[in-house]
Amino acid sequence: MNNNIKFINFFNGHKFFAAVYLFFFLFIILPVFYIFANTFLFDNSLVSNIKQLDKNTFLLLLNSSIVAFVVSLFATFIGSVLGFLLYKTNLKYKGFFKILFLIPLLISPYILAVAWKDFFSVFFQNAKIISSYFGVVLVQVFIYTPLAMIIVGNAFTNIDAHLEESGLLITNVKDVILKIELPLIKPAIFSSFVLIFIFTISGFSVPAFFGIRVFTTEIFTQFSAFYNHSLAILQSFLLVAVCVFLLLTESKYISNASFLSVGSKGTNKKLFPSNNTHILFLTIWFLISVILPFITLVVQSFSKGTSDIIKAFDLLESAVGNSIGFALLASALIVIVGFVAAYYSNTQTKSSSNFFDWSLLIVFTIPSIVFGIALIKFYNRVVFNFIYSGYAIIVIAYVGKFSFIASKIIGNAIKQIPQSLDEAAQIEGISFYSRIKNILLPLILPGIFASFIIGFIFSFGELGTTIMVYPPGKEIMPIKVFTIMANAPLALTSSMTLIVLSVTIFMIAILYSVSKIFMKNYGFYND
Amino acid sequence: MIKFESISHSYKNKNVVDNLNLQIEANKLTCLLGSSGSGKTTILRLIAGLEIPQSGNIFIDKKLVTENEKLIVPPNKRNIGFIFQDLALWPHFTVYKNIAFGLTERKEKDIDKTVFKILEYFGLKEHADKYPHQLSGGQKQLVAISRSLVLKPKILLMDEPLANLDVKLKRKILDHIKNLKENFNLTIIYVTHDHKEAFTIADKIIVIENGKIEADGTREQIKNSKNEFVKYFLEY
Amino acid sequence: MKTILSVISILLIIFINGCSNNRNEVVVYTSVDQVFSEPVLKDFEQQTGIKVKALYDTEETKSTGVLNRIIAEKNNPQCDLFWSGDPVRAIVLKNKNISFPYNSKDAEDINPVYRDPENYWTGFSARARVLIYNKKLLEEKDVPQSVFDLTNKKLKGKFAIANPLFGTTTFHIAALFTLLGDEKAKQFLADLKKNKVVIATSNGDVKKRVMQGEVFCGLTDTDDAFEAAKEDTNIGFVFLDQNGIGSLVIPNTVNLIKKSPNQNNAKLLFDFLLSKKTEAKLAKLCAQMPLHKGVQVPKDVPSLDNIVPMKINFDETATELEKIQPFLKKWLNN
Repeated sequence: MNNNIKFINFFNGHKFFAAVYLFFFLFIILPVFYIFANTFLFDNSLVSNIKQLDKNTFLLLLNSSIVAFVVSLFATFIGSVLGFLLYKTNLKYKGFFKILFLIPLLISPYILAVAWKDFFSVFFQNAKIISSYFGVVLVQVFIYTPLAMIIVGNAFTNIDAHLEESGLLITNVKDVILKIELPLIKPAIFSSFVLIFIFTISGFSVPAFFGIRVFTTEIFTQFSAFYNHSLAILQSFLLVAVCVFLLLTESKYISNASFLSVGSKGTNKKLFPSNNTHILFLTIWFLISVILPFITLVVQSFSKGTSDIIKAFDLLESAVGNSIGFALLASALIVIVGFVAAYYSNTQTKSSSNFFDWSLLIVFTIPSIVFGIALIKFYNRVVFNFIYSGYAIIVIAYVGKFSFIASKIIGNAIKQIPQSLDEAAQIEGISFYSRIKNILLPLILPGIFASFIIGFIFSFGELGTTIMVYPPGKEIMPIKVFTIMANAPLALTSSMTLIVLSVTIFMIAILYSVSKIFMKNYGFYND
Repeated sequence: MIKFESISHSYKNKNVVDNLNLQIEANKLTCLLGSSGSGKTTILRLIAGLEIPQSGNIFIDKKLVTENEKLIVPPNKRNIGFIFQDLALWPHFTVYKNIAFGLTERKEKDIDKTVFKILEYFGLKEHADKYPHQLSGGQKQLVAISRSLVLKPKILLMDEPLANLDVKLKRKILDHIKNLKENFNLTIIYVTHDHKEAFTIADKIIVIENGKIEADGTREQIKNSKNEFVKYFLEY
Repeated sequence: MKTILSVISILLIIFINGCSNNRNEVVVYTSVDQVFSEPVLKDFEQQTGIKVKALYDTEETKSTGVLNRIIAEKNNPQCDLFWSGDPVRAIVLKNKNISFPYNSKDAEDINPVYRDPENYWTGFSARARVLIYNKKLLEEKDVPQSVFDLTNKKLKGKFAIANPLFGTTTFHIAALFTLLGDEKAKQFLADLKKNKVVIATSNGDVKKRVMQGEVFCGLTDTDDAFEAAKEDTNIGFVFLDQNGIGSLVIPNTVNLIKKSPNQNNAKLLFDFLLSKKTEAKLAKLCAQMPLHKGVQVPKDVPSLDNIVPMKINFDETATELEKIQPFLKKWLNN
């Protein structure tokens, strides 16, 4: 059956799924299509803008792709190692470390870049080393390694012990990990790589801060210096093309492989013994990626006593509730959208890419400022005032930006569930929604929670699109930090960052605890 | 009872079943016997409605259920039980819930009574609160069978149900299976690559190779078949 | 099904919560740093009872985020008044037909140089371009007194300017082009490159690099310089070219946006921003120099009377800016 017909039939037959898809399409895709259509079809400057896409543009794109590739490679590798150590060994206080290792992901990339540069200035008296490609790669590896850690770690959780144990009867632990476990969690590793690649290539603040010119610098310049929105959007399209190509490669490589590894839950999870090398690695990484920037921030915050931290509290107090509320609401919607997309991709179609997947990818990939402009141009109409001038626009921005991540994480979790579990329920006459609620969802709970937490982290710290659309007079924490930062003493900015970080960690700790309670009921936890 | 008319089905451009015509009688235990990759499981899945053939018609009880890429009667309406090769027990449900789930969804009455009755029949009563990973291979097998039987199917499809069991257990379960037909008034289609199993329980055996029927008949007929492939297959 | 409906209803309520409430308010977008602009806007709120809904720019978007937003919103303006840190952005809005003229009575004694001849924008509280320097690294006698001194080999790789494509730096360079002409200005920039000028991300970044000793000195604005000097007594600043072309004086500007929802309130805010009271406040907060006469300012705030300003026409400079941007982009990237 033709894939398009399958698509229509599926969503036609399942109203809730159709409603979610329609929500995403109408509220998020349509603005992006609108702006692309305007640029490509109705803009008189299209031809002259296309002429500006010269050899240098493509060289810059290649350069940025290489940087993104290197960052993704290192971050995924280190994240996978961390994921293994924190999710598959019997290390003490793992839960505690899982949260702490997230810290670099919770700090705004720009501020982390500032902290690292300050560190080099203070301790090496030389910031030139870091104001380079090395610095760009280093900081972004620190930022995104936790993302790989969560994604790959969760995939490790789902491996049936029998699969590992059968390997241990034949060979050593190292070979079991390399030849049995890693191939089983290939989708997670690839997803992690792809997500980090896209984040890196469409990010702007870190390279800009270190004075390294990347493709997104060019897009930002066109917007902000030349006010040539059309050319910026055209350039964004190239960025999307690169990411689409990457996703196509991923889906081709992964689609035929078998990753069914979910067996029984609970005590059938294998934990390997930890050793001193593991602890040493974790300690070193913890010191470098978490402690160093954290200490830099703390030292800066308290450089004049507690006055700046108190002032920071006062400034941010009014924004805390809003920020947490929007991020929680957005995370819930992100998980719902991500689930619907992942479910369709992984259970209803043999082709692992469809219109919904591409839509999620495109919105995720386009630079935040472009997405912001798309939302403004679409929603800034009298008839949509109730969306544009309220909180809804912020939630829409978050859901648009981060649903792709949820669809990848949840998709990987679904891949690990044998289809026979659903088929057995089908044959028994269990209804579609009952099968999802009672069979599928409980089995992919780790993936659901991981998506929720990641959705929360990113929504809470999102700046690029939010700055373009947040309604005047409404306060949100990351925006407040950055608007005050423009001319505030370093100590105040660092204090504000510490507070944002603390609030984020606090929320994540709560979310982790809640998830632990849920998952214990389904036998996911034995630590 | 079950009729395939010119069924062709391919998977990733490879023909799994090619222009197959097949008839399975009601209230009999029919074995689909063949080597791995011969298409036996695919035939089961086509009967269940879990696969839709590229061409051909499938009838169950003279009713057209699948027609040329179109699923007319969905799996849950075909009154079928399916014992999957990996058993597909829901790992997060207890034994009790694995069996009761279908009854609960159908809003049946006296669920407790029905579940415990079948648990008792198979000697599993004391395992009701256990999870699948806490059971032995044979026990899991019986839970999978129980789960299907409580819904009173007319047809029971079994995909290599004894693949991972020892000889003693196989014997025990085969005895159970033999009795199922009479005690539960079932048509059973049993897929295996082990001809000894087939010869123990089957009323009729259909030998399949490359998606085609090589021979079909009673145990005696198959034993004495002149078909080269069948002779070769039965040698081992 | 019921759960789904309840969830959807709750979501709808939250969405609809964004409805505008027809309150007595004014919406202002500003590229002036929040630490300076917010207190002024709060004063207006207290004085008039009109709620001010403000949108501020960020360090990351280099003071162009709000302008881009105004441009993107032009078909259905949300912003009533744009308060810019320089005239360039005000001129951009005029040229794009987004603002409309308003002749405030509070502007009467402001030098016409700092006003649009057609009243599309009006200037107040000015900054100036200055050179900040680290006293520990640069002796008083070695401090450059002219922008052209930055081509001196003694400063090779040890001076910074902010990204010339954005902010007041673009304006500064455009002003130099206007004064010197294309050839000389391009030569000057080439010489800066030869002297290994360090390009910082923003004026704030220039300030930071000087404070951290990464560079000896850098070009920035008076408010950054003032803040730096307040934070660290090792930081000093000079007004360049006082014996030559003068220092670029950059007024804050206000314009009113066409078809905006609260135009009457916007005019009140416009008048308030141009008032002597506001200028006094900005002088105190960030050493911005009043354009009105007779405004009380702290002792350490320089007076425009004591500064030799660059003699430029803002409209011409804005046009020049647009012209030179492709060149600046090439210069920056080579």
